[in-house]
Amino acid sequence: MTNAIEVAGVQKSYRAKDGELVRALDGISFEVPQGRIYGLLGPNGAGKSTLVKILSTITPLDSGRAAVMGFDVTRQPLAVREKLAVVLQQTATENLLTVRDNLLIYAYLHGVKSAVAEQRLRALAEEFELGERLRDTVQELSLGTKRRIQVAKIFMLDTPLIILDEATTGMDPLMKRRVMDRLRAEARNGRTILLTTQVLSEAEELCESIMILDQGRSMASGTLRELRKLSTRLFRVNLLFAGTDGDLVGRLKALNPVELQVDGNSAEMVFEGEEASLLGKLADISRDTPILQFEVRGPTLEEIFIALMKENR
Amino acid sequence: MSGIAAVFYRDYRQRMTNIGFVFWDLFVPLAYLLLFGLGFERMLGGSIAIAGENFGYIEFLLPGVLGMVTFSVAMNTSWGFFMDKDSGIFYELLTYPITRLQLLVGKISFNLLLAVIGSMLAIILGVVGMNASIRWSLLPLTAAIVVTATAGWFFLFSVFAIKLARMDSFNTLLSATYILLMFLSSMFYPLSDLPIWFRLPAYINPMTWQVDLLRFSLLGVGSAMPLLLEGAAVLVFALVCLALAVRALNRAD
Repeated sequence: MTNAIEVAGVQKSYRAKDGELVRALDGISFEVPQGRIYGLLGPNGAGKSTLVKILSTITPLDSGRAAVMGFDVTRQPLAVREKLAVVLQQTATENLLTVRDNLLIYAYLHGVKSAVAEQRLRALAEEFELGERLRDTVQELSLGTKRRIQVAKIFMLDTPLIILDEATTGMDPLMKRRVMDRLRAEARNGRTILLTTQVLSEAEELCESIMILDQGRSMASGTLRELRKLSTRLFRVNLLFAGTDGDLVGRLKALNPVELQVDGNSAEMVFEGEEASLLGKLADISRDTPILQFEVRGPTLEEIFIALMKENR
Repeated sequence: MSGIAAVFYRDYRQRMTNIGFVFWDLFVPLAYLLLFGLGFERMLGGSIAIAGENFGYIEFLLPGVLGMVTFSVAMNTSWGFFMDKDSGIFYELLTYPITRLQLLVGKISFNLLLAVIGSMLAIILGVVGMNASIRWSLLPLTAAIVVTATAGWFFLFSVFAIKLARMDSFNTLLSATYILLMFLSSMFYPLSDLPIWFRLPAYINPMTWQVDLLRFSLLGVGSAMPLLLEGAAVLVFALVCLALAVRALNRAD
């Protein structure tokens, strides 16, 4: 089966306002099989949006190759665009038009037949709580509602690939949850989803594979499990003590954790190093302040991300 | 719905939500004809001779007013790209499964209809309200010139709208272009009596070509060879501007 996305050695530079040449992408390569949810993570300026613009044929690449559903973005841009539904980073709505027109015209511009578009509109209006807003002009609506319309639009289509660039920014938590559930359902039905985000918990929850980008280069990629393996020396410990004494916090700090949070008789710490040596030190502490509960787990995506960023800089 | 039809429908819906735009496109040229035309006709008193024939100033001005219609419609339509940029939808449009050519042609299509309606209103006002005498037999040619010229101007202004980041820069550029192209042409006065330094740039101004062609189709004045050349030049101008606009959209990142 053809991969939904194939990117090989893509490079892209642009000239900044001060005339300096900025390398936005420096030899990025990855593949996304069909039906997967793939996340692109990275700080601002990492190159995520540039990559999205290349894949959605807005920006030409300098060198390398990128293909969507087997169609080359440089040589077959129209065929690529026929396979895409894209939510770009900035809020994009037709402000002078009604919500209804926004959804319908988006569908028409993607070749969806009028009857099908009307049918999908009804279903989406209910799902995205837009039913009472359909006749409102978009410019009168809040930023969050505009974002909701923008995301709802992509479900007017049944393209095999959905690209979302920071799509849930500005959405309320309930709607964000609904969108995430819908995306999971779409992936189960075989649609491929590429999303960029800075909300790492969102990526951790949604994405089956992830690439972490920084300064146009790939820092790490793989499934969450594979990424965790890259940070085996990083682990999180949760402790519940039988009581507290004045020196407990000081003794925990003496263990040199990367992160330490103490709340009453419970503590949460992130350590970098050998697990065995830490266990010995905790056993010393438990002689004075008994430990009732002890839990060790691998790093979160956020911890992996921060560790990789620190390593890179 | 095909790509062009969908873009046509989008522009129709947008235009209908803002009657101010439509009013500007349709009625401002009429106001020019009414106020400017009447004022100058009274001031000049007599008639204007073109190629050995005499015409009233309103008859002389009428083709220029049609030129103004094409210019206004093209300006306002290209300004739509700034509205798209402002609402953030401009880049999203570039991800839709339509070619850049379809986007441009679809966007101007509905507005070509407006330009033709605006031109017809100007002709009706000139003939019925101001006693201008025109040749009706070449009305389809008049419509064809209006369509080609509106499209050409729109494609040219779209290049500016796509390339410029700031709306104030775009507005300044367009205002300057508007003044320069209108007054440095045969729109308001015959070029034959003007000094050579004025005539030379006016002869290479597409507005002059367009107004000369409209003057032929409405009044029947002009010589065959220069008119054929001007006709070809208007067509080439529109096609070159279309190519430039497509290129600008392809490099819009």
